[in-house]
Amino acid sequence: MDEDAIIEGMTRGDQRAFRELVDRFKKKVYYLALDMAGNPIDAEDISQEVFLKVYRSFGTFRKGAKLGSWLYRITYNASIDHLRRKGSAPEAMADEIIEASAGSDAGLPRRGPADPAEGLESHQLQDRIARALDKVSPQEKAVFVLRHYEDLQLKDIAESLGLSIGSVKSYLFRAVRKLRLELGTTALISHGDVS
Amino acid sequence: MSDCKKCREHMIEALYGELAPVHQDLYDRHRAACPECEAEHAALAETLGLMAKRQRPDPGPEFWDGYWDKLSRRVLWEATEEGRGPSLAGRVGQVFARLPRWAYQTAGAAALLLVGILIGSRLIGPSGSTATTGTPGTTAAVSAPAPAGAVAQAGDFIERSKVLLLGLVNFDPAVEDAYAFDLGGKKAASRVLAAEAPAIRQGLNEPGQRRLRELVTDLEVIMMQIANLESGQDVDGVELVKQGVDSRSIFLKIDLDRMARDVRSAPAAGAAGPIKKSQV
Repeated sequence: MDEDAIIEGMTRGDQRAFRELVDRFKKKVYYLALDMAGNPIDAEDISQEVFLKVYRSFGTFRKGAKLGSWLYRITYNASIDHLRRKGSAPEAMADEIIEASAGSDAGLPRRGPADPAEGLESHQLQDRIARALDKVSPQEKAVFVLRHYEDLQLKDIAESLGLSIGSVKSYLFRAVRKLRLELGTTALISHGDVS
Repeated sequence: MSDCKKCREHMIEALYGELAPVHQDLYDRHRAACPECEAEHAALAETLGLMAKRQRPDPGPEFWDGYWDKLSRRVLWEATEEGRGPSLAGRVGQVFARLPRWAYQTAGAAALLLVGILIGSRLIGPSGSTATTGTPGTTAAVSAPAPAGAVAQAGDFIERSKVLLLGLVNFDPAVEDAYAFDLGGKKAASRVLAAEAPAIRQGLNEPGQRRLRELVTDLEVIMMQIANLESGQDVDGVELVKQGVDSRSIFLKIDLDRMARDVRSAPAAGAAGPIKKSQV
């Protein structure tokens, strides 16, 4: 069933079209929710809530729009609502810190482990990446995740999240700079503990 | 605008290979001439390389296989709740939420007074009076719900669903005439069963009735699917229902439930007397 057939079926209230839609997008929706919420239990809950919203309000889907973009938008909004309800919006790093460190490695904290062998532990690396992502604001994180892990073009991210391309570029640039600052990438790479 | 500022503006597109060729050329030339911008580009590229090593945990095939089942139950549950409107408990809750604090304090005091009077009347009153008011055991027996009724209803529902499903899964369009297959009748019967299911589910609220409740829910979903099959000979739809029955091991669950009910309804071993060694 292609995307047009799914949309047509959903408009008619066809259960099989809904199932096809869920099967096609469940992983994308789940992983965006996981990246936003940070834990699998909330991610499952958010992703199911997203599909319930789709089921309830498919009438609001704009003809000619991309189904994936619409779903990403709903997932993003549902994740933001979830973070607000939980009161756990990540603490974003101050822009001044980012600016101060930009263009110079002098401001970068050397977070690389003293013993390079220690850094070879994959789980440590995963943990550091997860903590670094936690320091990025939800908007920046959504843009980064969609570009870096879902491989969406900047214009598609703009359409998905209802932003201008300029805003998407700005969020993405800030996200990558914050991640660089958090990870102390140069220190890690130069120590050779990232294979 | 300085060249460095322009370079930073294009950096993210350059890093992700989305920079238009006309800008790419200028960008590369600036980087070659500006060590600061070159260093920034290299550092961000390293960061992106590191972030590419991130592993997202896969919840596993079981999670993905059961995803649709969970979702369809939620859809069904929501549809049922919408049709029902706010529950009695919800309405009572709304009324209580509007009451002022003094109303709770007065009600609390009155309840304490009532408890005091009841205890006092039991302690001071004639001993024979307790017999007329009934023992706690008999009170409990009168006020307890009748779970057996709900279980019997569920049993009847399951048996009727099973008969309908057997007719459906045994239909083979490759060897049978699809037009002789009475899908309309099955759809009507499944609509009736789907309508009965919510009340039966609600009756199964004892802790030990979870599996039975889940089986009723599973059957309710399947009945809804059958009821929603397209008119005429929806062979593809029937196949999907068959797959659903198969993937959820519905017949196995029905048989297990039947066995469990048979065991419960059989006379207890203790009631029939101890088994003598010679009988073994």
